[in-house]
Amino acid sequence: MTGLGRLTRFSLRRSRILIGAWTAVLTLFVYTSAAATDSLYKTPADQISAAESINTSSALVALYGPILDVTSLGELAMTKTTVTYAVLVMALAIALVRRHTRVEEESGRAELIGGLAVDPRAPLVSAVLVGALTSLLIAVLAAVADIAGGLPVAGSVWFAGSWLGVGLVGTGVGALCAQLSPNARTCGAVAAGVVAVLYAMRALGDTTSAHWLSWLSPFGWSTQLRAWSDPRGWVLLLDLLLAVALSAVALGLRARRDLGAGLFPERPGPAVGSPRLADALALNLKVHATSLVVWTVACAVLGALMAAIVPSIGSILDSAGTRDLMERIGGVGALQETLVAALVSVAAIIVSCFAASVVGHGGGEENDGRTEEVLATATERSTTFLAVALLALGGVAWLLVVTGAAMAVGAVGAAVSAGQVLAAALVQIPAVWVVAALALLALSWHSRWAVAGWGLIVAFFLVGPLAELLQLPGWVAGLSPYSHVPKVPADPVSVGPLLGLTAAAAVVVATAWWRYRERDIG
Amino acid sequence: MNDAIIEIRELTKTFGATRALDGFDLSVAEGEVHGFLGPNGAGKSTTIRVLLGLLRKDAGEVRLLGGDPWSHAPELHRRLAYVPGEVNLWPNLTGGQVIDILGRLRGGLDEKRRQELIARFELDPTKKGRSYSKGNRQKVALVAALAADVDLLLLDEPTSGLDPIMDSVFREYVERFRDQGGTVLLSSHILAEVERLCDRVSIIRAGRRVESGSLAELRHLTRTSVVAELARPPAGLAEISGVHDLDVEGTRVAFEVDTPRLDAAVGVLHRAGIRTMTATPPTLEELFLRHYGDDLSAGEGSPETEETA
Repeated sequence: MTGLGRLTRFSLRRSRILIGAWTAVLTLFVYTSAAATDSLYKTPADQISAAESINTSSALVALYGPILDVTSLGELAMTKTTVTYAVLVMALAIALVRRHTRVEEESGRAELIGGLAVDPRAPLVSAVLVGALTSLLIAVLAAVADIAGGLPVAGSVWFAGSWLGVGLVGTGVGALCAQLSPNARTCGAVAAGVVAVLYAMRALGDTTSAHWLSWLSPFGWSTQLRAWSDPRGWVLLLDLLLAVALSAVALGLRARRDLGAGLFPERPGPAVGSPRLADALALNLKVHATSLVVWTVACAVLGALMAAIVPSIGSILDSAGTRDLMERIGGVGALQETLVAALVSVAAIIVSCFAASVVGHGGGEENDGRTEEVLATATERSTTFLAVALLALGGVAWLLVVTGAAMAVGAVGAAVSAGQVLAAALVQIPAVWVVAALALLALSWHSRWAVAGWGLIVAFFLVGPLAELLQLPGWVAGLSPYSHVPKVPADPVSVGPLLGLTAAAAVVVATAWWRYRERDIG
Repeated sequence: MNDAIIEIRELTKTFGATRALDGFDLSVAEGEVHGFLGPNGAGKSTTIRVLLGLLRKDAGEVRLLGGDPWSHAPELHRRLAYVPGEVNLWPNLTGGQVIDILGRLRGGLDEKRRQELIARFELDPTKKGRSYSKGNRQKVALVAALAADVDLLLLDEPTSGLDPIMDSVFREYVERFRDQGGTVLLSSHILAEVERLCDRVSIIRAGRRVESGSLAELRHLTRTSVVAELARPPAGLAEISGVHDLDVEGTRVAFEVDTPRLDAAVGVLHRAGIRTMTATPPTLEELFLRHYGDDLSAGEGSPETEETA
């Protein structure tokens, strides 16, 4: 295929920072998990009871997947990585494929390539290769990290195989989704939705009697591979077959459509702007309207799903191990309350992604020259800044209210009151504001740093577990704003940290505002 | 100068180690169409961005419509419209929506002229931003700018994607705008466009102004090419100062002459008996080549070299 090799090398070079950073973080996490687990449990009995306690908590099983062999140290050590962190592997594969296909088409750069002596299929095939090679790289490093961390060689290799499989499926999902819409953001949203559905199917299958649901999801396959004891290697073939099928369909769709076009023809829109489209904030709201609706629905569904887990926890055995684990992530208190606190902290991280997306988009608007077009009108600098800031800050608050309300409604009948559940979601808002504010500060420093919000979320998410695993001093974990949120409803609503976080967010936003008014645009 | 709409003195702007503008001067009087000429990367867009208050100057004086473009951007922008060289539209908004929002952000637009411009430019306002071609994206920005009631148009290579028919529509509206007392700064590297539209021209090169004046004044600085068929060989043509590239073949002569010395040169021809004669006034093209000629011959092929390096 003419040009395939060159294109692939070119893409790998262009994405080397993204691939490198993501790979490094994942490898580090695998290594620390592997190395730390052995010392965590003094006797095999301790280790087994820890594994069993995870299995008895449907919330943890929903989050991490079950532990099939409770005697296996490797399976216990890789609890979080087998399914939960595999999402990051899939997300990277999707992001890479989208970046080198649809984003290129939308920007018009694909036309430059299309005019060269390059096979028309080469860009898509090359993007699939980039996704597959990156998955392979991560898998190899994950195996090495596990072995270096002291886990059995065979299990480490099979575990790495499960990550490779998930990465390959992600590559296929990305390739197929990139064919659907001329808008790269829509393609990304569809792909994210697919990941969410696959994850939810596995969570449902693992926690209810409908076990077959887990077998419909690649995340379920990762557990069912049984990497650490008596592995079923043929499960990896499922990943491979699905990835090949998705990529083949994507190639077929690509061959039937024009460059830059979606699967469906573009519909005409209104010839005049509605009177409400009269300022920069209304413009930004309009630009993000679809995304905001999708996020609102997703948060409502997420809240309802989370609430569905809450009542079930009361019925399971109140084992010491479960309590110990739950207390570590949810604070002191009754199990259900602890569970609610743990679930909303996950929701807070998910909702933070909305802020990162809005601020990152703000940077893109500036790079593409659209901010310049707005600022060449009678619009103040402060207004364009506020248009981004208000949408990011207001948007996350709204989404947490939606999540909390959906959880509160869904948790009716549980021992936790609706008011407590809602409060648990609302106290997360200041922490998410701090993350949004820091992303705004990055945008205000330079438009090309606007995507820093994504890195911050990953960093704040990982710093707690990493600091614990590496036994770093307490202030390191305290760097994450999420760590200062009171664990409501297990703990009471303490005003101090909430005011502190809000004040910190305000100071950072004010600094960002000041900087944005002073700097060059573009 | 009180009636200057744009007044720039000794403007300097650096990006890291790059000096984009290096003591640049520019003066645009009220009611004129001012051509702003220069090769790619000479600093045209940087100048316009400083005038829009998007970039902060490092040194020098900048006045726009009597105010400081950095500190009073929003007020000043009510009185001007800007068309960027590369127009990017919001992918999910239609052209019509973009025209209206830009108009409202500027403080309103002339509804009748909006309709008229859309018809004249043959623009489909119902298409989404991502489905427009480059030329159509430019038309969206041009309609938004030309439908606004403003005193000043800042146009950064506004016709680079337009076909010749649309180009003439564009010229018609710019002339109408000028006739109603408007001022235009038109940056371009298309010389024919500037020659047809502009009253005065400033030429920028490597961040500095190298020439400024009316077209007539600039032509004064240049040479006229003369080709003539004479009755007998001319005498004394080579002795006239200001005659260059003289080529005499029997009774046929071709030469270039500094425009102030044209009369003397033609006098010599006249004494030799003129049978036929063509005298070509200098084009902006030649003005341009005189300023950039050295660079053009020395720098040929350099873009490719940079690409592969």
